[in-house]
Amino acid sequence: MSETALNEAGPQVLEADGIRIEFGGRQVLSSVYLRVQTGQIVGLLGRNGSGKSVLLQTIFGARAVADASVRVNGRRVVPAFRERGLLNYLPQEPLLPPSLTLARAARLLGVDLENATARFPELRPQFDKRIGELSVGSARLVQALLLLHADTAFSLFDEPFSGVMPVHVETLAEEMQHLKQRKGLLITDHRYAEVLPLCDVVYLLHQGRLLRLDGDVREQLRDYGYLAG
Amino acid sequence: MLTRWRAGLLFYRSAAPFMLGISGLILGAVLLPSIYEGRSRGILPALLLAKLATAPVVWLLSERLRPGQYWFYFNLNISRRQLWRGAVALDGLLFLGSAWLMRAALS
Repeated sequence: MSETALNEAGPQVLEADGIRIEFGGRQVLSSVYLRVQTGQIVGLLGRNGSGKSVLLQTIFGARAVADASVRVNGRRVVPAFRERGLLNYLPQEPLLPPSLTLARAARLLGVDLENATARFPELRPQFDKRIGELSVGSARLVQALLLLHADTAFSLFDEPFSGVMPVHVETLAEEMQHLKQRKGLLITDHRYAEVLPLCDVVYLLHQGRLLRLDGDVREQLRDYGYLAG
Repeated sequence: MLTRWRAGLLFYRSAAPFMLGISGLILGAVLLPSIYEGRSRGILPALLLAKLATAPVVWLLSERLRPGQYWFYFNLNISRRQLWRGAVALDGLLFLGSAWLMRAALS
């Protein structure tokens, strides 16, 4: 297994293409090309069942797809999760084993928990609690923070704001803005009002195709039926 | 490397209830009677094979009951195959150790 050194010379570029997925004869993804670079937050929007999670899992390498190509700076990395320091992934479902304490989970992920939760003082008394003892919202927030602060070039987040209370959503969004200086983030979340202002680039998954939206993003989201007219 | 070992142990702990249960069943229902009946010589390789043959069942149960259990380990750069290889090796060693101890104590 090779190690992905952080490229001091310039941004790292994560690209995915050739991803075609069918479920029960229905083409979920076709002709997908997606690009994220360090220093960017990229938003991935789409209706329920449009294949957003499948796409993230395929890029992460957890889902084997024939002909899928995932590259970093032009070098093929499949499955990408095996490449140390390259990327991490927050799934929609709980990430951490419920029996693990927060402190131990952070140690395993190589994250400084004090630093990661510096803007969330209410999490401090919970460091020695098991993940299964945290509230759903706190567990979600902690998982997002741990992956955000982990030393990877990219983070793929599937609904990171789900279940997190509004005041924490704002601070988490600020953390993302701050940390994008050293990593690239690919985020999918239905809370578009929070996601859109964060994004440097927005993609929409629509009828199996991935469309890059430029210009008036909200207007286009309405045109494609993602937002109500 | 230490992180991988710790993660491997954590994963084994989650699969241990199935694996140790099967070990207990084989040791209690097969090895113990054969020790008392004085025919336990040379039985360990066959028991180990029987034990290893149950690994796919444990894997299937684990996949069905905890489909999302791998995400954390993937984030530690560890694949499914590596997790199960480690768990089966550790479980096999524990099984052999327990069988050997039982025979040494009861024969």
